[in-house]
Formats: sequence, C-alpha cells, structure tokens
Amino acid sequence: MSTADLRDTDAEGWVCVTCGTALERRSVDITYMASVFKVELPRCPKCGFTLIPPELALGRMLEAEKILEDK
Amino acid sequence: MEQGLLHDFEARCTQEEAPSCQSMCPLHVEVRPFVKFMAEGNFPEARKILDRLMPLSGVLGFLCDGPCTAHCRRNTVDGAVNLPMLERACAELSAFVKPMSMPGSGRKAAVVGSGLSGLSAAFELAKKGYEITLFHAGAPGGRLLSLPTKQLPRNALPDALEMLERLRVTFAELPVFSSGRLESALADFPAVYVGLDDEAVQSSEYGTALLEGGLPDPLTLAARGTDVFAGGLPADAGPSFILEAADGKKGAASVDRVVKGVPAASAREKEAVYLSTLYTDVSSAAGNPAVIPADPAAPTAAEAVAEAGRCLQCRCLECVKHCPYLARYKGYPKRYAREFYNNLSIVHGQRKANTQINSCAECGLCAVLCPYDADMGAFCADVRREMVRDKRMPPRHHEFALQDMEFSNSAEVAFFRLEPGRSECGWAFFPGCQVPASRPEQTEAAYAHLRHALPGGVGFFFSCCGAPARWSGRPALTASTAAALREQWTINGKPVLIVACSSCLAFFQAELPGIPARSLWETLAEFPLPDAAGPAGRTLALHDPCTARHAAPMQENVRKLLAAVGQEVEELALSGKQTRCCGYGGLAAYADRETGDLYSLSRAGDTRNTLLSYCVVCRDRLRAAGKPSLHLFDLLFPREDAGQAALRPPPGISARQETRLSFRRSLLQRLWHEPPVRNPLMDEILLRIDDAVAEKMEMRRILRDDVKAVLLYAGEHGAMFSNAASGRSLACLRPRQVTFWVEYSREEDGPYRIHDAYCHRMVVPGVPGEGAPSPCTVEGYAVKGGRM
Ligand code: SF4
Ligand code: SF4
Ligand code: SF4
Ligand SMILES: [Zn+2]
Repeated sequence: MSTADLRDTDAEGWVCVTCGTALERRSVDITYMASVFKVELPRCPKCGFTLIPPELALGRMLEAEKILEDK
Repeated sequence: MEQGLLHDFEARCTQEEAPSCQSMCPLHVEVRPFVKFMAEGNFPEARKILDRLMPLSGVLGFLCDGPCTAHCRRNTVDGAVNLPMLERACAELSAFVKPMSMPGSGRKAAVVGSGLSGLSAAFELAKKGYEITLFHAGAPGGRLLSLPTKQLPRNALPDALEMLERLRVTFAELPVFSSGRLESALADFPAVYVGLDDEAVQSSEYGTALLEGGLPDPLTLAARGTDVFAGGLPADAGPSFILEAADGKKGAASVDRVVKGVPAASAREKEAVYLSTLYTDVSSAAGNPAVIPADPAAPTAAEAVAEAGRCLQCRCLECVKHCPYLARYKGYPKRYAREFYNNLSIVHGQRKANTQINSCAECGLCAVLCPYDADMGAFCADVRREMVRDKRMPPRHHEFALQDMEFSNSAEVAFFRLEPGRSECGWAFFPGCQVPASRPEQTEAAYAHLRHALPGGVGFFFSCCGAPARWSGRPALTASTAAALREQWTINGKPVLIVACSSCLAFFQAELPGIPARSLWETLAEFPLPDAAGPAGRTLALHDPCTARHAAPMQENVRKLLAAVGQEVEELALSGKQTRCCGYGGLAAYADRETGDLYSLSRAGDTRNTLLSYCVVCRDRLRAAGKPSLHLFDLLFPREDAGQAALRPPPGISARQETRLSFRRSLLQRLWHEPPVRNPLMDEILLRIDDAVAEKMEMRRILRDDVKAVLLYAGEHGAMFSNAASGRSLACLRPRQVTFWVEYSREEDGPYRIHDAYCHRMVVPGVPGEGAPSPCTVEGYAVKGGRM
C-alpha cells in the first residue's frame, strides 16, 4: 500500500522519556486488516516508541480504517 | 445469502409496482410522470411521456375511453382522475414530435388495413427502423374518417399520416382485398400484421379467410402460421380505439420478434392489463372533486392543470414515511434489500452498504406498517449474521457495545444473590444492565418494593441480557451469553424472573424460552403502588419502547400503572404496536451516530409534551435529543429531586460503567453485608477532565477507565513522551483492538489533568500493548476476570 494518504503530522517538542531522546522522523510500517502502510512518523531513534498525533489518529488514520473495514 | 431469501423479500415490497391506472392501461402509459408534468402546466414534457408508450398520440390522445379510470385509487375518495381528459388536453396543447426513428435497418414488414390498429402497428415498426408497406383500400383511416371534428380535430389524421410517410411507411392502395392478390403482394414480407378494425379488411375475402381458423392468439395475436398476426376486433363492449391501438402495438411486437428470429411468445409478461399490488394510502387525500371542463371536447389548460393536481402520484412508502433510517437513504426496502444482497457478494472493493446495514434499528415498525409485512429489520439481521460469518463485519461498529456487554457480565459487575435471609426464592428481579446504570437508587427502591410485595422471596440478578450480541449478528456469542444466564438461573433455584427492561424481556423470550420471565410493570400493576408514587405535574406523552412493540400486556400494564398514579397521558399517533425506536435498537446509534440521532430526534418531535418511557435507554436518548423526558421509575419511585427528573442529563458511557460498579458495591454491602471489593490501583487514580474533553471522550467512546489504564501503564513502565515547552506528557496503550492516547499533566495536589484523549485502531509498532493478547495487562482494568 502507498504512503500517499497517510503522511505524518508535526510532533514538535516531544521527547521519549525512557531514553531522554528527541524524536526523529522514521518510516514506520503500520498495519490494519491485512494491509500495510509505510508512514513517516516521529519515533524514538533508540527504543522505537512511536508517536501518533491526534490529527493523524482522528483524521486520515480513521478514514483509512473505515475504508479497510469496508473492504 | 441465498437468492431465494432476497426474492422473498423483494416480492413483499411493492413500491416498484406500477400504479393501478398504469397496470390497467392497455398501453401501460406512465401515468405518474405524465400527470405530474400536466399538473405543472408543462405540456411538451407531458407529451414526451405520453409518446413513449402511446402510438400516434396526436390521434389516440383524443380518443382513449379510459379503461384505467375504473381502477384509479382516487375513486374511493372523490372520483377518478380523468386521464382521457388530460390526454386530450395534452394532445391539443402540445405539438406532435416526430419520434427519433432508428436508422433504416433494412428490415421489412407489411401491415394490412389502415384503421387505428394498422396505423399503430406501422408506426411502432417504422420507429424501429422497419420499411413498412401498408396495404389499404380507399382513403386511409378506417373508422377514424367518420369521426366528428369535435371528437377528432380535422388535422389530426392527416398530420399522423404525413408523419408515417416521413417514417418511410409506404401506403399501397389495393382496390379489393381479394385473397389471391394480397397473398402474392405479401409474399415478399417475412411477417404481416392485419388490422381487422378496418372495415374494408374485416369484410374482405382475405379477412374472412383469416378468421376461419378461429380468433387470433390473445398473447401474440398470431392468426395464421407463425408470420401472420391480426388484431383490432371489437371487444364484447363494442369497438374501442385504445384497444385497437394496443392490438396494433402488440402485433407489431410479434412481427418484430418473428423477423428477428425470436419466438413471438417470448418475454411478454405484463403486456396485458393486470391488477397492481401497489398499496397507496388514500386516507389523507382531502376532498378535491373532479374538474368538469366547460367544454368537455376542449378542456382548457387551467382545467387540465387543476384536474392533474388531483392525482395522488400513487406510491406506497408506508414504512419510509415513518422510519427516518429508511428515508435517509432516499430509497425503499426493495431497493435496499437488493443493495445489501449485492454488498454481501462483493469480493474486491468497497462494501459501501455496511454502515447502512448496521444502522437499521431492527425495530420492526416497517413490518407493522407494511401492507405486505415486509420486515427490513429482520432482513438486516440476516445480512448482519452473514457478514459476521464471512468475517466481513467492520469491527468498529459494534466493538464498544460488545465490550460494554462483556463488562456488565464480568465478575466485577454481575452477580446473583438470593433475598437476604432466605435460602430459596420463587422470584428474582432482573433489572438489566442499563436501568441500574441510569437509575441506581430507584432500582434499589424497586427491589425493596418487590421484596415487600411478593411472598416467597425475591432474589437479585444483575447482568446484561445479551441483546447486543444478538443485535450485532453474533449467534455464537448470543448463545454463550444466554447459556451463562441459564446457568445462574439454574444454580439459584430457577426463580421466575421479573424483568425491568423490554429489550431484556424480548431477549429472554427469543433466546431462553424455557426461563419464566415477566415484565416488572405487570408485577407492579398487581400490587398497591409504592407510597411515594405520584403523577408529574403535567401531561406526559407516552413512548412505548420498540422492543415492547408486540408486548401488548406490558403496554396495558404500564397504562394501568399510570392511571393508578393519576397521571394524565397523551397517546402518540405512533404508539403501541406502531411505536418508533429511539435509535438504540439494533445498536444503530453505535454503527452510525447520525442516523441514531435521527431516530431520537424524530421521536422527540412527535409531541410538545414531556415524554415518558418505560425503557431507560429510550428515556436517556430522548433526553440527549434535547427533549425533557422521564422514566416510569421517576413516577413510581421518585427521588427527592423529582421535579427536576425530566431534565436530568443522561449519564455518559463512563458514568454508566462506573455506576454499575458502585451500584453493585453498595447493594452488596447494604443488603448482604459484603465488604466492598476495592480496586486499589484504578480507584486511586484521580482524574480532572473538563467538560469539553469529557464530551470528546464520549464522542470517541473512550472511558475514564481507558484513560486510567493508560496512566497506570505509563507510570509503571515509564513509556511516555514529554514536552518541556508545555509541561505535558503523552502516553498510550493498546489494551484491546484500540490504541488509546492520553495527553496529561500532573496537578499540584496529585490528580491528573487530562488535556486530550484519542484513539485509533491501526496497529503501530512500538506501542505498548500492541501484539499483546487482549485483555490488557493493566491490573484491575477492563475484562480480565472472565464471567461470573
Ligand atoms: S410498506 Fe415499505 S416495504 Fe412495504 S410495500 Fe410499501 S414501500 Fe415496500
Ligand atoms: S391517483 Fe393518479 S397515480 Fe393513482 S391511480 Fe389515479 S391516476 Fe393513477
Ligand atoms: S429502523 Fe425499524 S422501521 Fe426502520 S427499517 Fe429498521 S426495522 Fe424497519
Ligand atoms: Zn526511547
């Protein structure tokens, strides 16, 4: 699946508390209903903890979920 | 789904049937659009509709004697719509439009006789691109030639003949129809239509010979062999132009089939007149008597417009008129059933009807309103079960409702106790999961009242009945939920259940018919009222819950109770068997909040009075729709603030779950002296959530307990993000098929201030709980204990 409709949103200022590290944009494979999306997301470069901002969760992610559930 | 199921349903819904005027019109003229344009004074458009099925409307438009009018639905009100008059007006007030003929097909056929049937046959075939030779004797027109101009305007016939010529009809005059001459002339043609309404043909040697073998076949008009068709003979009641034209058209269709090598009798259903099954409610057709034109031979435009306005535009839509869900998608059950059936068979691509299928309330109103008992709700239930079976049910629609059910049935919430101090009980009170969640004090009061009234002991059975499993199309979950209820009932001595909620009662009757269960209202009606019971200070409109639709005794008992408290009641137009749903039925509001709101809003709009229901979910949904609303408990077991009861806001999803927990704790403590089981971890987290955030959580179906679980997990594992600029933290957890995110900060005095909470269902690597088996690992949260 493409990444076109799920680009990341800003997550400036957040730090991973476990590692004390600032987040970096990394390509992450997120999955749902047997589909895989490559998305650039703010992620802790050390432990991999990934941040999903509200606009993404409630916007394009929700849309994609609905489409996939109706597939 | 088996196609037979679809066809059974389709056969019930008659909305697509023609109105009876059209079914009884020998040409099946599309009456509704024709009359609609006439009513708008748009004569050219009306003419186009007429021309679609009526051959030579410039002639026949003046001559139809209207066999349809005897079947017009308006007959039973104040007289049929005068369609012959409208056709006459249309023919006079609009121009003859030359039909678009197909390019010459190279096909040929012959017509014998120039009466209206022969001319009609020639017209129909010429329109299809045939080269027609029309054999006639004398001036063409047959009986039409002798009509007074009052009946048929002078130009009508010449105009029609001229148009036929332009459509490449060759008029071949034969001095006599001697058999031999005609036969040899016809030898060149693959098929022939003979119009016997032309006197010259009927009385000829050829015509007589044709009828020697008997009358033409009524279906195809085949008169001799497979290539000669004949029609236009007068009916018993005498000659009729419309029947002659219809014969010409029918004969033309036979000729066309034969020339193309198709059997003349194939695919001719519904060509003849038939009685339509279309139901139309005429009860509100106000007195609007027929327009009598000053000059019947020449109705004016104004007269035609007025008469056309009398047409009821017959249609059924009985169910659609009263179901906001059916109305919302702009169709009607037959069409929806087809769409749902197709939706089931989609393999690749979007199943666009999923949300629609899941937002029917399965309330049964349509089946009651439909003259043919079509039950859209039952059909949707079938479709849902099939979606679940095929693993095509979108998870998001029912997940929250099912999780809520699981919570109510978990060991933390559900319990069964015999009446304190007794070792057996003849009865048990089953309030369901929603009544205690919304009316806990009154549930307790009702239980006290029952214990007082009923000898033989009344146990208490707190659990969800399992209706959500059934509504969501999950037979296995429904069965296991029912089995667990049966087990508890058996262990506790098989008491008669006294059920407060009509949905629970309906569930028991459908899934657990062996368990004796009766309505709380029936029981209460048998005893003196509680001392505190009293009327509200105003008239209340009574809303029967849709799950009590077929529970007539329950409805009666509620009315008895209301009479006993001296309550003045407004009976709504749609009540009892015809009551409407609040939007909770079928989990409709979970699948589609907007449709859910349409149900409650339309019910709220049915009255100006405060509503009263005996289902607490109805009450709370109607209140959420902005309507002051009461539950029957508010009259029978009023609280101290009874005056405000109608305005009390409905509890949200978190409050409902928390109230179930606290209700259980306090009831067990007070009546059975069981110490409260506390849940230290979850109980001790204090949240501060302002209204705006609480509202968002409600809309996103995020519970306060979900938030607490995120905080607990983050606290324990340190998995969170922090933001130095805002001083806030952000943590998440995926305890089930949903990942919850919480943005929060710590208040000086300890509690957590929640700034936002949101969720998604996609799986993101690196999120705690992802991949972990549901239920989650946070102690004390969600469903971990299994069933009670
Ligand atoms: S009531 Fe509804 S389902 Fe029944 S025939 Fe009419 S339109 Fe069809
Ligand atoms: S009211 Fe109109 S649509 Fe209905 S039967 Fe009469 S003419 Fe036809
Ligand atoms: S909501 Fe009720 S009336 Fe409407 S289609 Fe469904 S079952 Fe029928
Ligand atoms: Zn990290």
